[in-house]
Amino acid sequence: MVSLAQQQPIQQSFNPYTENGGTILAVSGADFSVIAGDTRQSEGYNIQTRYAPKVFKLTDKAVLAVNGFAADGNMFVKKVKQRLEWYRHAHAKDMPIRSIARLIQTMLYARRFFPYYVYNILGGIEEDGTGAVYSFDPVGSYEREACRAAGAAQSLVQPFLDNQIYFKNQTPAPGTSFPQHLPLQTVLALVIDSFTGATERHIEVGDGLEMYVVLSRGSTALQSLQSIRGVQEITATNDGERVFVIRKELKKD
Amino acid sequence: MDHFPTNWGRPRNDAHDAYGTFPIPQRPQNRVNDSFSDAVQRTQQPIVTGTSVLALKYKDGILMAADNLASYGSLARFKDVQRLQAVGSTTVVGAGGDMSDFQYIQKFLDELVIDEFSAHDGHDLGPAEIHEYLSQVMYARRSKMNPLWNSLLVGGFKDGKRFLSYVDLLGTTYSASTLATGYGAYLAQPILRKEVEGREDTLTEEEAKKIMETCMKVLFYRDARSLDKYQFATITAQGVTISESQFLTTSWSFAEGIRGYGAQTQ
Amino acid sequence: MTSIGTGYDLSASTYSPDGRIFQVEYAGKAVENSGTAIGLKVKDGVVLAVEKLVHSKLLVPNVNRRIQTVDRHIGLATSGLLADGRSIANRAREEASSLRSWHDAPPTLKDIAERIGMFVQAYTLYSSVRPFGISTLLGAVDKNGPALFVVEPSGVFYGYHGAAVGKGRQLAKTELEKLKLSELTTREAVYEAARIIHLVHDDAKEKDFELELSWIGAETNNLHVPVPEDLFKDADAKARAALETFE
Repeated sequence: MVSLAQQQPIQQSFNPYTENGGTILAVSGADFSVIAGDTRQSEGYNIQTRYAPKVFKLTDKAVLAVNGFAADGNMFVKKVKQRLEWYRHAHAKDMPIRSIARLIQTMLYARRFFPYYVYNILGGIEEDGTGAVYSFDPVGSYEREACRAAGAAQSLVQPFLDNQIYFKNQTPAPGTSFPQHLPLQTVLALVIDSFTGATERHIEVGDGLEMYVVLSRGSTALQSLQSIRGVQEITATNDGERVFVIRKELKKD
Repeated sequence: MDHFPTNWGRPRNDAHDAYGTFPIPQRPQNRVNDSFSDAVQRTQQPIVTGTSVLALKYKDGILMAADNLASYGSLARFKDVQRLQAVGSTTVVGAGGDMSDFQYIQKFLDELVIDEFSAHDGHDLGPAEIHEYLSQVMYARRSKMNPLWNSLLVGGFKDGKRFLSYVDLLGTTYSASTLATGYGAYLAQPILRKEVEGREDTLTEEEAKKIMETCMKVLFYRDARSLDKYQFATITAQGVTISESQFLTTSWSFAEGIRGYGAQTQ
Repeated sequence: MTSIGTGYDLSASTYSPDGRIFQVEYAGKAVENSGTAIGLKVKDGVVLAVEKLVHSKLLVPNVNRRIQTVDRHIGLATSGLLADGRSIANRAREEASSLRSWHDAPPTLKDIAERIGMFVQAYTLYSSVRPFGISTLLGAVDKNGPALFVVEPSGVFYGYHGAAVGKGRQLAKTELEKLKLSELTTREAVYEAARIIHLVHDDAKEKDFELELSWIGAETNNLHVPVPEDLFKDADAKARAALETFE
């Protein structure tokens, strides 16, 4: 044991990162995607604000959710949006989602040695009309998945999604099989349950819920969406894809 | 999420400690790996510091408050420091943290306002623009590992709209109807939220000031780096007003009986 | 012009045998042929006014302003090449900003005039550059009260009570001399300035012009700002009316 007197003079070093809590998740369907996040921003035991969006519409086909260090997250979204605008100016169309996914990888890996401390989940519609979810780690590793949760309550939500969406640890009744894709109504119910559950069990999750729904051209999920109270359409182009946002309250304690 | 039950309920905010109040464990490589770092001076800790800044939205605009103390460690070094600064005609910036960094911020904000005034192009800087500019500067400086060691509140009123936002040394930003920096986040924010949330559009200036005074009082009783001398700033459609310094009336008679405070025989 | 063909007028870095620098004098000609600019230093402020000649009806009104702002309390009006005026204003802003940060106080106008004088003079020394084709009127209210300076293309600068440069300077100076400048208020000076600009404008020779008016004084909280619309309109109208009764 070294005594205090023998130690080097302590220089407090600056830590450029912090954790701002919250949770995000995305689920893809056959012809739609749901991307959701809570709106609480916290640091330690402090709630900084009850409304700081973590989910952002990039184009009419792609929505990005960011979670981790909020300052990095906001800066990252700003830079992605800027690159997409440049793409639009050069090519007179929106960047396809798989290209956005690769762009995000490149941008994240460019900062491999001073990373954006951010977990990204990108959801939307692929060029073939299928629902897509891409998830990333902070330095750019990514893959396309059917569903993904990230953030403070990832360890609470992901197992629930594995069970309810991938039907892990379930066996189908004899002579039946599990569905490949779930309908929008079921997915929205699962998302809401995920967040109310996480809000109950994790102090960093709560206050508000924002769910973005991206529908493919002519998606049949439209009917079930229109019956939901408070749904708001935010589509900007008439390319065919449509984007909606549903806002809900979560417990504030 | 932390799955170790032994860690639950313990202070865990020791990695980021804005005011250097919490001991950081010594690690072998606690510095940036930069061979030239010895030749470059950077703010690694705040020296002369201001404590909390409080702000809330009320019926007619924004009310902010900050005391007049700049501390040198635990020494109450400067007792007549203004920590609320008008920027342009629709914005006030309030600062906690390192006061020399704040003076630098004031200097470049003033330059910015003059440039904007001289351009005379029919645009002027509102609170949203100033907050965005500040957050970009703060984030850029943290990314160079050379932060401006402050927590800032930006309050304003422009085009009939109230504006209230926060930015700190990490570049973290957020807005809400009540904001507090430093110890105010722990001691005043709960009171502010209880009194203000949901009443932003009905609170009068008088009521707002009363709430604010209560909070400043609580801070003076509990925060050892605070002062009973403070200023208000209001930003409304009529513009910016920063009050003269005023004093809190506090009562310490209860302390008589506290062991180690009053005259004890044993 | 006796200088033409002698070879002594081709460079700012060459004197003529009788000790003149023709390039600098030619720069002065650029000013003499430009719209008039005047400045009035009065009891409690300064007024700047410019006769901006409009060479085309296709131009958008109120652009390419010849009165500019250097610092909160400092205004600048130029006569001569418009683009040179832009360049001088930018330099003046840099100097003002640097002096402000050095002294942590608003710079005095004398300091700015000195710096601009040095800057302009440097362009009279080299064959590789062209001297500034402008005279610069600087007006301010600083810690010493109202101030008015003119920087000429040679780099020389003087302080004035009333100053006029450009085409109509002779008549303007005569009019300025008739005024009791030290007894006028800034508001009164605005009317005089508008009147003088209208008076010196030669309707016969010149096409259209725009009147530019700015002021610095107690009424503007010592800020350099354009004269407010209602006052401008009134001063403009009175100036036009005065033309009818003049002489």
